[in-house]
Amino acid sequence: MTHRFRVLKPWLFLFPAAVIYLIVILVPSLYTLGLSFFTWNGAATAQITFVGWDNYIKLFTEDTVFQLALTNTFLWTVGSVLVLTSLALLLAVVLNRQLKGRTFFRSVFYFPTILSGIVVAFTWRWMFHPEGVINGFLSLFGLGDAAPSWLADPSLAFGSVFVTSLWFGIGQPLVLFLAGLQTIPKDPYEAAIIDGATPWQQFAKITLPMLRETLIIVLATIFIGGMRVYDLIFAMTGGGPAETTQVLASWMYYQTFQFNHVGVGSAISWLLVAISMVVIVPYVRFSTRQAEQ
Amino acid sequence: MRKVLVVLATLGLIAGLNTVSAQAKVKLAFWGLSDQNSFITPILADFQKANPDITVEFTGYSIDALKESLKVAAAANSLPDLWFTWGGSLGSFYVENGMTADLTATAKAEGWGSTYNKAALSLSTYGGKLSGVPYHLNAMTTFYPKALFAKLNIKEPKTFAEFEASLKVLKANKVTPLAFAGKNGWHLMRLTEVLLEHFAGPAGHDDLNALKTSWKSPAVVKTFAKLKEWADLGYFPKGFVALDPQEVETGYEAGGMGYIIEGPWYDGSMVSGGFDPLSLNVFPFPTDQKPVRMSSFAEMFQISAQSKDAQRAAAIKVAKFVTGPETVAKYIDAYGSSAVVGAPTSAKAPHVKPMADLVGQGNFLVGDQALPQEVVQKLFEATDKVLLKVWTPDQGAAAIQTAVDSYKKK
Repeated sequence: MTHRFRVLKPWLFLFPAAVIYLIVILVPSLYTLGLSFFTWNGAATAQITFVGWDNYIKLFTEDTVFQLALTNTFLWTVGSVLVLTSLALLLAVVLNRQLKGRTFFRSVFYFPTILSGIVVAFTWRWMFHPEGVINGFLSLFGLGDAAPSWLADPSLAFGSVFVTSLWFGIGQPLVLFLAGLQTIPKDPYEAAIIDGATPWQQFAKITLPMLRETLIIVLATIFIGGMRVYDLIFAMTGGGPAETTQVLASWMYYQTFQFNHVGVGSAISWLLVAISMVVIVPYVRFSTRQAEQ
Repeated sequence: MRKVLVVLATLGLIAGLNTVSAQAKVKLAFWGLSDQNSFITPILADFQKANPDITVEFTGYSIDALKESLKVAAAANSLPDLWFTWGGSLGSFYVENGMTADLTATAKAEGWGSTYNKAALSLSTYGGKLSGVPYHLNAMTTFYPKALFAKLNIKEPKTFAEFEASLKVLKANKVTPLAFAGKNGWHLMRLTEVLLEHFAGPAGHDDLNALKTSWKSPAVVKTFAKLKEWADLGYFPKGFVALDPQEVETGYEAGGMGYIIEGPWYDGSMVSGGFDPLSLNVFPFPTDQKPVRMSSFAEMFQISAQSKDAQRAAAIKVAKFVTGPETVAKYIDAYGSSAVVGAPTSAKAPHVKPMADLVGQGNFLVGDQALPQEVVQKLFEATDKVLLKVWTPDQGAAAIQTAVDSYKKK
C-alpha cells in the first residue's frame, strides 16, 4: 500500500494541473483539429460538412495571402531566433561585467517586456508615422523629404514591425542569459587567461558551452513566440499594406472571425502547431540529451 | 399531523408565490457598443423604471470585441436576447443561420412603417423578413472646411470636374486635398465607392455589389485608375495607405486638409475634440449621376430566435423603447442619426438633419456591408496594391473578380 501510494504520489500532485490542461488545452485543441476537416461558418445552427483535407489543400494551392503569411511567419521566426538571441546574449555579456550604471541599463533593456503588446504597437506606430519622431530625426540631417512611409511601404513595413518586436522582446532572453552567466564560475576563465586564451576563445570555449541549458530555453521560447506573433501585427498594420505583413496568427483571425471560415481558421492554427512541434520537440530532446551527457 | 400539514401547505404557498413572481420577472441579456454607454445606460434605467418586471443586463463591447463575442456566442448557441449589429453582410450572418426573430408581422401589426424611416426598415430586412429593430440610419457625405474654402475661393463642387479642379487648387495651396486613411481599408473605401458610383452609375454599382456583373469592368478599372492618379498627384496624406483613420480624422479636425467622407457621428467627434462642427459644411459627392445617392448603412437591434416567447416579447419591447421617438428626443444630443421618421435634431450635431435629408433622395449600402467579407478583403487588398503600384488597375479588378468567383463556388 505504502509503496503503491509512493508511486502514485507524484501523479496525484500532477492531477489538478493535468485536469486543467485537459479541459483548457487538450480538448479544445483536438476539437479544433477535428473542425479543420470540416466546412463550417461558426453558427451552431448551420450545417457542418466534412471536406477531408480540402481546407489544407486550398490553403497551399489557392490562398495567396496564406502563402505570404506562411513566408512572413517563417522569416519572422528565423529572424527572431537569430537576431534576438545574438543581441540578448551580447547585451547580457556586457551587462554581466562590473560597469557603472549596470543596474540602470539592465532596467532600461528589461522595461519593454513589462508593457502590453498593444501599448508597444501604438507607441511605435506613432514613431513610424510619416511625421513621427524617426522621420523627424532624419529631417535633422536634411533627409526629411527622402524619409519613407515606414508602415505604408510594402518593402519596409514588415521590417519596421520586426524592429518593434526586437525592442519589445529583448528583455526576457536578456534576463535568462544574465541568470545563466551568473551561474558560471570564475575559475575556468582564470585558467583560460593563464593559458593565454583570447576573449573570443573564452566566450566560445567556456561561456557558450556553459550556457547550453539556458540557450535551449531561450531558443525554444523565442521560436514559439515568433510563430504565434499577432498583437504587434494587428495593431501596427492590420496585416497591411496590401496584406504584406500578414502572419499565420493574424490570417487565422481573419479567416475565422471576418470570413466565417472556421474550418480554414482551424486548419491554419493546426499548421502552426505542427510546424512548431516538428522543430521544437526534436530540438529540445536533442539539446537536453546533449546537456545530460 | 395537523401541524405537519399546515407547515407543508405554507411551504407550498411560498413556493407558489415565488414561482409566480419569477414568471412575472423577465431577465434579458443585451449586448451593445461600449462607446454608446453614455446614453444607453440612462435609457435602460428609464426603461426599467417604467417596466419593473423586466431586468436588462447590458454588456458593452468595443467594435471588434462585439463582432468576435457575437460569433463565439453564435457558435455556442448562446446569443444574448438582443444585440446591436450593423446591417449588410455583418448582420445577415445571424439571419441566414436562423438565429434572429422575424419581426415582419410585429412591424405590420404595430405600424412600424410610420415610426421608422423607410430606408432604415429596408436596410434591416433580409430576404423579405424584417430582422432587426432599426436604430441608426447613417448616411456618409463629404465634409469640407468652410473658412479654408472661402479663403481659397473654392465653391462647393456640383460636378465631378469641379471637384477635381478644387483638388488642384487645394494642392497648389499646400493643403492636403483628400483626408483618407488606408489601414483596415474601410475609410479609403468610402472614396472608392463614390468613384464607383460615378463611373458605373447607380444601376451598375448596385449590380457590382450584388455580384450580378463582373468586377473586371471598365468602371472598376477607371475607379482604380482615378485613385492611383490622385495618389500620384500627392492628393492624399503621406503614407496614407498605412495610416489609421483615427489619425487622419483627428488631423482633419485640426485643419489643413480638404475633403473627408464621414457620417453623422463626425459632429460628435468634432465636439469631443473641442472643435466647432459648424466650421465644416457637408455636400453630396458629385457623382454626376441622377439621383445623387449617399453611401449609407443601418444599425439595428436583432432579437434572438432562441429566446422563450416572454423573453422575446420583452426584448422587442426594450428595442422599441431604446429606438422610439420619445427616447430619441430625450437623448438627441448624444444619440446620433436616429432611424425614426422626423427625428429631432441637436444643436450639437448640426449636420445630422442635412445628411438625413440627403439620404432620403437616394442611397446605396456601404461597400463593406454590401459585399461578402471575402470579397471586401480582396477589394481592400486590390486598392492597396494598385495605389502601391504592385498591381495595375486591370489586375486589381481581375483579382476582385477571382474572389467573387471563389465566393460563388462555395
